[in-house]
Amino acid sequence: MGFVAALIFIGIYCLLTMRNLIKLFIGVEVIAKGVSLALIASGFERNNIYIAQSLTITFIVVEVSVVATALAIIINIYRHTKSLDIRKLTRLKG
Amino acid sequence: MIQTLLLTALVIFSILAVLLRDLLKAAISLAIASIFLAIIFFRMNATYAGVFEISVVAGLITVLFVSTIALTKSDGDVRESKVVSILFPIFFVLFIIIDIFVMKTLLNRLMVVRYPAPTGNFGQVLWGQRTLDLVGQIGVIFAGVFAVIALFRKRDKKDE
Repeated sequence: MGFVAALIFIGIYCLLTMRNLIKLFIGVEVIAKGVSLALIASGFERNNIYIAQSLTITFIVVEVSVVATALAIIINIYRHTKSLDIRKLTRLKG
Repeated sequence: MIQTLLLTALVIFSILAVLLRDLLKAAISLAIASIFLAIIFFRMNATYAGVFEISVVAGLITVLFVSTIALTKSDGDVRESKVVSILFPIFFVLFIIIDIFVMKTLLNRLMVVRYPAPTGNFGQVLWGQRTLDLVGQIGVIFAGVFAVIALFRKRDKKDE
């Protein structure tokens, strides 16, 4: 569980400090890795790996859907602002 | 021992994915971290989750990241502060020390819900006990597909 916490820490550090939108999403992905590791590790510890696997597969499917949507939003933001800098999003109007 | 090495490699490649300035290298580091995670899953007898991790996370999500990086082509545009990379080891070591001292006592205090061990194989558990999860997965996939279609929809002349 220490490694899970380390992964989640790395992801949160990235989210708090980085400015590039793609980098921020890489941070989200690192957190997602920590969560899937936590699911499988807890299932392995409790001798209940089948349920843990099915939950992890559901989580991965949700993750893919979120990534696809978020990257599409990032491409649209780039077309609009010609930059991936998150600070430029504060200048949006309306 | 091997498990600890694999977990350490997973953490190292995750750190590289966050700290590397080149976005392409960062995406590839993330894919390598996924491969290590999949190997850990295989070693914990979670073979199906491992296969999903390799094919979907290490494969599909990396392709999505690389295509986005290719479509945006402006990694030099955003300058990350150098302080972020300098401060990271300090915060990380601090966190690991807190993690080692706090996590064990915290985990012992957590209430554990007893759940009966499932009978049968993985297919029976997935299709029999977690059927609603599969319905939810189909819903989420459709939501993602429609969201991407909506975001890449061509603008009508009337809208402009």
